[in-house]
Amino acid sequence: MKKTKPPRQKSKRTKSEGGAGAKVYIVGESPMVEEYAELCATKGYSVQVQWNQEPTRKPVFQSSHITCSSAIPTTSALALELTNTDLVRKRQNLDRLDRALPSTAAILSSSVTVTATEQSGWIKQKHRLVGFGVLPTLVLKPLVEVAPTVFSPAETLNVVQRFFHSVGKEMALVQDRVGMVLPRILCQIINEAAFALQEEVASPQDIDTAMKLGTNHPFGPIEWADRIGVGQVNAVLTALQNDLQEDRYRISPLLRHMAQTGEWWKRTTYFIRKD
Amino acid sequence: MIKHLGIIGAGTMGAGIAQAAALSKVEVVLYDINDTILRQALERVKTDFKKGVEKGKLTSEQTTEAFGRIHPRTRLADLSHSDIVIEAVIEDLRIKKDLFKHLEADTRPTTILASNTSSLSITAIASAARYPERFVGMHFFNPVQRMKLVEIVLGQRTSPETAQRAIDCARQLGKTTVVAKDTPGFIVNRVARPFYGEALRLLDENVASVEEIDRIVRIEGGFAMGPFELMDLIGLDVNLAVTQSIHEQFFGEPRYRPHSIQKKMVESGMLGRKAGQGFYKYEKKG
Repeated sequence: MKKTKPPRQKSKRTKSEGGAGAKVYIVGESPMVEEYAELCATKGYSVQVQWNQEPTRKPVFQSSHITCSSAIPTTSALALELTNTDLVRKRQNLDRLDRALPSTAAILSSSVTVTATEQSGWIKQKHRLVGFGVLPTLVLKPLVEVAPTVFSPAETLNVVQRFFHSVGKEMALVQDRVGMVLPRILCQIINEAAFALQEEVASPQDIDTAMKLGTNHPFGPIEWADRIGVGQVNAVLTALQNDLQEDRYRISPLLRHMAQTGEWWKRTTYFIRKD
Repeated sequence: MIKHLGIIGAGTMGAGIAQAAALSKVEVVLYDINDTILRQALERVKTDFKKGVEKGKLTSEQTTEAFGRIHPRTRLADLSHSDIVIEAVIEDLRIKKDLFKHLEADTRPTTILASNTSSLSITAIASAARYPERFVGMHFFNPVQRMKLVEIVLGQRTSPETAQRAIDCARQLGKTTVVAKDTPGFIVNRVARPFYGEALRLLDENVASVEEIDRIVRIEGGFAMGPFELMDLIGLDVNLAVTQSIHEQFFGEPRYRPHSIQKKMVESGMLGRKAGQGFYKYEKKG
């Protein structure tokens, strides 16, 4: 049997022109800020970063093209806003960016937990904002979900397309909805695993092994939660629950508690607590 | 160490388990009420062995020996010497309970009685038994030859010794085991539900197309297959049946609610690869 449609596409890492010294300003949450900063610097951008909250362990950047500063460079043609959990802070960040950046500059803002359309209502120059999907550890993948708004003109989209091309990512245009595609599917799998865990259906290790061997998932759901960070997972699920207003998106109390402790949910830690 | 394994039901799963066991040097009595099905099962094993030899994964000596270890039988009493009996018949609680009742009378009290059920409760199957502590679930995955996993499912009254012997048996067959409580869908079938359920909702809400969702999940998520490709491979009817079963067993919990897109496709016969059309169209080779 042969599938006729679609042609099985291998990820195309097309040759990109790189950033050629262009300035990118990145603001938001750790570790996404570091991950995008490294990616951009590797591709030749001059990167300036600022965190909402300084990471507890200050990252040592590989590249000398990354500087930490709260001053927004007025010559920057592009800024990335990477906040998923603290939406009050996200709004402040976007407002600052909108005021400081030249009107031709585009803002790429994570739209996993709040739609790009809603975010564009927070700023004056709505045309410049485009949403995209970002969660920790997914940054290095060669594909990115992009959600334009009704206000996004072709010019802004061109800037965005050139940027992602230059950092070696192909784009998948999706409708502007909370959770987008992969974060919604992934976080719901993690949520289901957390329900199973709190009901003591199996150990965290066995849940991971079962999903990897039984249905060929690249990581077990508890491993995914470790990689993405349970605070981020909780933020995505909370956004889905608020947006879709369905019981189906109810969050596992165990997962919520782990997120509220402010720690990353490490499988090993959970084991120590349990035993 | 398991020396004698009894298998009830010579369908795809039963024959697959028999094949894996015979290759692990275990003597297998493969029982089925229907002689024709038994013969077909042996033919399938033979063909699979032949392919293994052609690919250089097995030697012809290995397969000849292994084939000689599978003893087809149509009398339940021929399973009496088994250390473990694994049942892999149709997913019908009444049939399984009845079968095990007869089996308990025909086997030694030390024989472990295992069910390969993927959707029924081990506790319910064991409920009519005189010795429910020796009942356990051993959920193999299809195709058994390739899939490494066995879920060991503990019924309400399964004893730790029974569980351990089931684990040892699965390991002897070269499998990796995980232990799960007897709850609907156990681990895999339950935790995998959102992979399909959310994808169907994303499609319904027009967030992205079938092709785009699959592409995103594969490239951004690193999954071997997207949800729609995988549903086509599994069969939409099979996938829907699993979802419905878990949904019912959880008394209508909305997280497991099946989707109308899938139901409509099943009704229209678009069952996936096996039907030539599912979410994608498939052409027959040649």
